[in-house]
Amino acid sequence: MKRKTISQKEHKEQWRLIFKPDGDIANVMALPAAVLQGMIAGLRQFSSDVAAGTVILQGVSRKGILAGADVAVDREAASEHDMDVACQPRAGGASLRPAETISLEEMTLGENDEFASVPTAPEDLACILYTSGTTGRPKGVKLTVENFVSQQQATEQALEVTPKDKIIAVLPFFHVFGLSNVLHLGLVHGASVVLVPQYSPGGLLKTIMESHPTLVIAIPTMFVHLLMLLERKKLHLPESIRLCVSGAAPLPGEMIEAFERSSGSRILEGYGLTETVAACCLNPPDGASKAGSIGVPLAGFKMRIIDDDGRELPSGEVGEIAVRGKGVTKGYYNFPQETEEAFKDKWFLTGDMGYQDEDGYFFVTDRKKEIIIKGGLNISPREVEEVLQGHPGVKEAAVIGRKKGEREEIVAFVTTRKDVSAKELIKHCKRSLSDFKVPDKISFMETLPMSVTGKVLKKELQDNYKDERRIERKKTGTGSVD
Amino acid sequence: MNAESNEKRLGLVQSIEKWASSFPHSVALHFDGKALTYKELNLRANRVANGLQRLGVGKGDRVAIMLPNIPEFVYAFVGALKLGAIAVPFNTLYKGGEIQRILKDSGARVLIALTNFAPMINEIRPELPALEQVILTGERNLVFAGPEKTAFLQLVLQGDLIKDVDGAYEKMGHVLLKIMEDFGVKEAWYKHRGSIRVRGDKIATFVISEVGPIALINAVVFLGPMETRDFFRVLWIPPEIKDKVVEPMTSVEQETGKRPRWKQVKKTVVMAVEQGFRVGIKEGSMLRDELVGYEKLRSLAYEVR
Repeated sequence: MKRKTISQKEHKEQWRLIFKPDGDIANVMALPAAVLQGMIAGLRQFSSDVAAGTVILQGVSRKGILAGADVAVDREAASEHDMDVACQPRAGGASLRPAETISLEEMTLGENDEFASVPTAPEDLACILYTSGTTGRPKGVKLTVENFVSQQQATEQALEVTPKDKIIAVLPFFHVFGLSNVLHLGLVHGASVVLVPQYSPGGLLKTIMESHPTLVIAIPTMFVHLLMLLERKKLHLPESIRLCVSGAAPLPGEMIEAFERSSGSRILEGYGLTETVAACCLNPPDGASKAGSIGVPLAGFKMRIIDDDGRELPSGEVGEIAVRGKGVTKGYYNFPQETEEAFKDKWFLTGDMGYQDEDGYFFVTDRKKEIIIKGGLNISPREVEEVLQGHPGVKEAAVIGRKKGEREEIVAFVTTRKDVSAKELIKHCKRSLSDFKVPDKISFMETLPMSVTGKVLKKELQDNYKDERRIERKKTGTGSVD
Repeated sequence: MNAESNEKRLGLVQSIEKWASSFPHSVALHFDGKALTYKELNLRANRVANGLQRLGVGKGDRVAIMLPNIPEFVYAFVGALKLGAIAVPFNTLYKGGEIQRILKDSGARVLIALTNFAPMINEIRPELPALEQVILTGERNLVFAGPEKTAFLQLVLQGDLIKDVDGAYEKMGHVLLKIMEDFGVKEAWYKHRGSIRVRGDKIATFVISEVGPIALINAVVFLGPMETRDFFRVLWIPPEIKDKVVEPMTSVEQETGKRPRWKQVKKTVVMAVEQGFRVGIKEGSMLRDELVGYEKLRSLAYEVR
């Protein structure tokens, strides 16, 4: 039994309960907002009518989405799926905001329009970008003022960007490709940048058709989606487009042809890393593009193929791609060991395997870390993936090496277009691969885990993959910071 | 050709300042049917730089940015560079553990993020002593509701409570924990300012907001498993990143094998709030003024933009 003490009695306010278990999604916003408005009004009028506290407990009788003012919801699809969509009204200046935070709008409201920029030196850091790391933990790549300036010079020379250009910004700016080769490229050269905050194939096509851009810079998946839509709707891209650039993941040769035919626009494939502030290699806009090639180094970048001892390899031989130039990072933030390992004689080791042909064009074959060593023999996952993708039933394939006891086994993860058995796929592989390259196991997936730029996240396919998004409970007694 | 900026080797900040003064009316950004000139962009970035400077941000400080491609990203990024600060943009799909590692590793003093990331940031804030300010912008809240699957518990309060935000988080966390206990959920846990979780999975979550002297505590309890697949038919999200958009979740039904009925939910919630806040609660209805506001807000919510 509780004893009533004086202090408890003093604090025991009466609150009101509003109970509505069978409402709809709009109530989730409207009920508390109405009470809140009433309370604000009541406070202004010193009304005694207002309860000190209101408890609202509510549920919905139909499925619903409550969307902030900046979220795009497909209302047609919503009504097809019998789902209510309610929108939150845009908040004004002094509006509800999470406790102990500042609103950007309030912070900048009364501020001065002038600011004398703090001078920087070329070696000063401008940005730290965390790499998506398809195999390891993310590391912060240090990018200096000079890195960005050299990168802008390199791409400007190749793409000849002028204030007349209009560039589609569908690649996220938090990724180096969008930050450097779209945002910086556009604004440094006085062009205009068309912001696409949320990617959807239909949304991108609509933005392109309506805004008449001159440059579309995107990743292979987006071009593939665009191509599908163009073919389905029997459309061409606007004539304003003078060039499309694809990077971050390989674009299959037949896709390039199909896209150029359907869109009426040229598409160039390039290559870059966070460590090179995006593109360091591109098929020349005024020269020949080679299917499957990442092109030739951009101005200011040098690239070569080296063996494990750092010796340059002749054309045609596969080795690691190394790059140097003023656009190359100084290393990783807080990771001195990894920084040291990433360079050999001032050449940055990309971790990508590839070769150079006689005309100086570069080709990427695999990620070095992903090469499978089985019984002392090197196996290129990409080679196996390409064979699997050659099967009409296979949509995507990702091949990894997995430790099984003492030996390494080859596991292929595939998504399919139609029913196909593992046995059939193994047989298909045996037709074009040496026996030791044939997968030991085929695993069927609904989708492959991918990064925002469309790279398969192979680390997530490993058995010991730990979901980094989770927040786990700390063991009691550990007050330490990990 | 655009040889000028090439020869002088201008960086982003100097380029924007140059365009803003030589071609102030040429368009820098197109967004949502509107055009923003170089002059306006420069002015907005200046305001951000001034605002950040007032907060104590200076040369070499890390300013983390967790925003999609909206104009605010550009203002924040350019504003930070104008201060000589180091911008740390990162993926808006990242969740708790990933964000924590990046903010800790970079030692960011300020984070500029979307408003809807507030609960996630709240949860990891105690682990980030270097993070002094969280600046929020944009409105991309997304709340999913399903019949008998979600219970929304909202407290509109005035008075002393919100002067002690820490205390309010602690109280509400334990109210929700008590509710879970009464539902028979075993091993639910609450870390200060966090969500209510079972193992690493979210079972209830809340955020405290304020306007003037009034606080709104907004909580949602997952009673039954949410079919998030339904929602993705309405919001287009690339299939391979779908599972990254939604945090790992669980529900009372998944943990106990039984979905509580509304009658039980009501009783449990009222008791837990009464105990936790030491108040009495009586069922009531809305006042006339509130009803007028409510009708207006409802019609606004369903207005097609």
